[in-house]
Amino acid sequence: MDKKLLVFLGLLGLSFILLLIASFIPLSIATDVVKLLILAVAVVANVLAFSSRYYLYMILPLFQQRTRNITLSDQSPYWLSSTSDSILRKEGDDFLATVYINIPLYRSATEMSDEEKLDFAQQVSRLVGISKEPTRFTTQLYVMNKDSYIQKLRDTITMVEEEEAKLVASNAAQSEIERVRGKSAMWRKMLDNVGRGSSLELSSYAALSARGGKEFEAISMVQQKARELMSGIGATFGVSPNIVLGNELLKFVEPEYLIPFSTISEQITKNIQEEVI
Amino acid sequence: MDEEGVMYLVFTLMMPLIGFTVLQSFGKGGFGIIAAGLLIIDVILVMIMNWADFVLFPIITGLLGITFQPAAGYSIVKGQDSIVMEINGLFYATGFVTGNLFAYSFKQETAPQDEQGKMLQAPDTWERAIMNIDFPFKFHVAAAGLDSQKVRDELEGKRSYQEYQLSKVMQEGKDNMAIEELQRKINIYQTKIDRLSQGERPLASVMYFETTAIGVSEKAALDSLTSQIKALQIAMSSMDVDLVRVQGRELYTLFRFNFGLPTSFEEMALYFDQQG
Repeated sequence: MDKKLLVFLGLLGLSFILLLIASFIPLSIATDVVKLLILAVAVVANVLAFSSRYYLYMILPLFQQRTRNITLSDQSPYWLSSTSDSILRKEGDDFLATVYINIPLYRSATEMSDEEKLDFAQQVSRLVGISKEPTRFTTQLYVMNKDSYIQKLRDTITMVEEEEAKLVASNAAQSEIERVRGKSAMWRKMLDNVGRGSSLELSSYAALSARGGKEFEAISMVQQKARELMSGIGATFGVSPNIVLGNELLKFVEPEYLIPFSTISEQITKNIQEEVI
Repeated sequence: MDEEGVMYLVFTLMMPLIGFTVLQSFGKGGFGIIAAGLLIIDVILVMIMNWADFVLFPIITGLLGITFQPAAGYSIVKGQDSIVMEINGLFYATGFVTGNLFAYSFKQETAPQDEQGKMLQAPDTWERAIMNIDFPFKFHVAAAGLDSQKVRDELEGKRSYQEYQLSKVMQEGKDNMAIEELQRKINIYQTKIDRLSQGERPLASVMYFETTAIGVSEKAALDSLTSQIKALQIAMSSMDVDLVRVQGRELYTLFRFNFGLPTSFEEMALYFDQQG
C-alpha cells in the first residue's frame, strides 16, 4: 500500500480508537480528566492524519527524530552526471535527471519597433506553451563573477609591493622607488573600483526532467526531451539554444554562484571599511 | 479541490462528527463543554489545514522553533519562508515570491485591443522593472501542457450549464443583472473554446520569483532577503502581478524544483493549490 495512504489510515484509525476509548471510560471524578486527555490526543492524531496529505515529508522525520532541528535529508540534493550535461537526484527507487538549456536572447526593448515588441511578447507567450512536458523557463539576474580578475589584481599588487620592498632594501634611486609606488597605487585604485560595485548579468534558460529506473535511462530520456524542446525554442526565436555543460550548470543551481564569493567578500570588506571611516 | 482532497476531508471530519454524537459520555458539566470545544478546534484546524495550511504551518514551526534540513548544507528557517546555506562563513538566504503574470499569458475577458496594448508594453515594462533591481533574482515559469480535448469537453460542459441557468432566468423574466452576469460567464467560456479551436494549447503554469541575499550572519542574510523581496515587490508592481511571499511546504517544493522538476502535470498539480 502507498506509504502516504498508510500513514493517513494509521493516524485516522488511532484517532477513532482513542475517541471510542475516551467515550467508553465510565464517568467519575478520577477519570474525567483522563477522558479529556485521551480526546485531546485523538484530536491531534486526527489533525495530523489530514495534514499527512501534504506534510508526510515532515511528519515521519518529526516522530522518528523527536528534535527541533529535523533532517529531511543529509545527502547532497543532486550530483552531476558522468556525461556532465545534466544533474541527477534519487527519488524513491527512480533517478531524476534534469537538463538545463541556455536560450541566447540578447534583444532589448529599446531597440525594437512597436511591431517587434508585440512579436517578441507573443513569442514569449508561445515559448511557454512549446512543450507538453512540464518545463521551467527562467530569466536570471546574477552577479558577474569577477573572482579570477580580483585574484589577479591582488597577486599583481603583492608582486609590486615585493618589488618596492626590494628597491628600498637595495637603496635604489628615489625616482625608481616612486615609479613602483605609483604602479602600486594604480593597481590598488583599480581593485577598489572593481570591488566597489557588483556588475550584473542576465541569462535565460529552460529546464526539464525525466525519470528512469537507471541513471543512463533517465539521462537519455531527458536528452531526448531536451532536443525536442531546443528545436521548438530555435523555431520560435530563431536562435540556437544549447545544453548547459559541466560547471556552467552550477550557475543555475547553486546560490553561491549567483553571488560569487570573492566578488562579494571584496564588496563587504569595502562597505565595512567605509563604515569604519 | 481534487478527489483525493475531498476523500481526506470527509474521512477526517467523520471523527469529530462521531465525537459530537457520543458527547454525552463526557458529562453535561464543564468537562462536556471542554470536550465539545476540543472537537470544534479539531474541525477548525482541519479546515485551516485544508484552505490555508501555509498560514498555520509556519505559526506552529515558529512557536515550537522547528527548523528543517532539506538537504546537506541547507536549512529551512523556523518561519518557513527562507532557506539558508552557509559557505565559507557567509550566509546565503533564498526566498520565493509568487508572480503569476496571467494578465499577459491567457486573457479571459479583456477586449483584444487592450490585450494588444498590454503585450506591446510588456517588454518595456519588464526591462524598466529589471533596471531598478541591483541584486540577483530569478523569474521562473513552470508550465505543463494539458490535454486539449479534455479541457475543451470541460469548458463545453460549463458553458452548457451556464446556458441552462440563463434560459431559466430568462423564463422567469426578471433580474437583468443576473442575465448579464450569466452572459458574461458564457462569453468567457466561449472565448476559451475559440482559442482552443484555433490551435492554442491549454496550459497549467506556476510563475514565481526567487531571490538570494548574502550576509555575514544568518540574521543579516535573512534581513537582507526581506528587504530584497520588498524591493522586488515594488519593482514588479508595474507588471500587474500579485506578489506574495511563499511559505510552508510550497517553499520546500520550489527549493526541490531547482534540482529536479515534476515529470507530469498530475505530479505538478499535487504540489500547488492555494499559494501557487
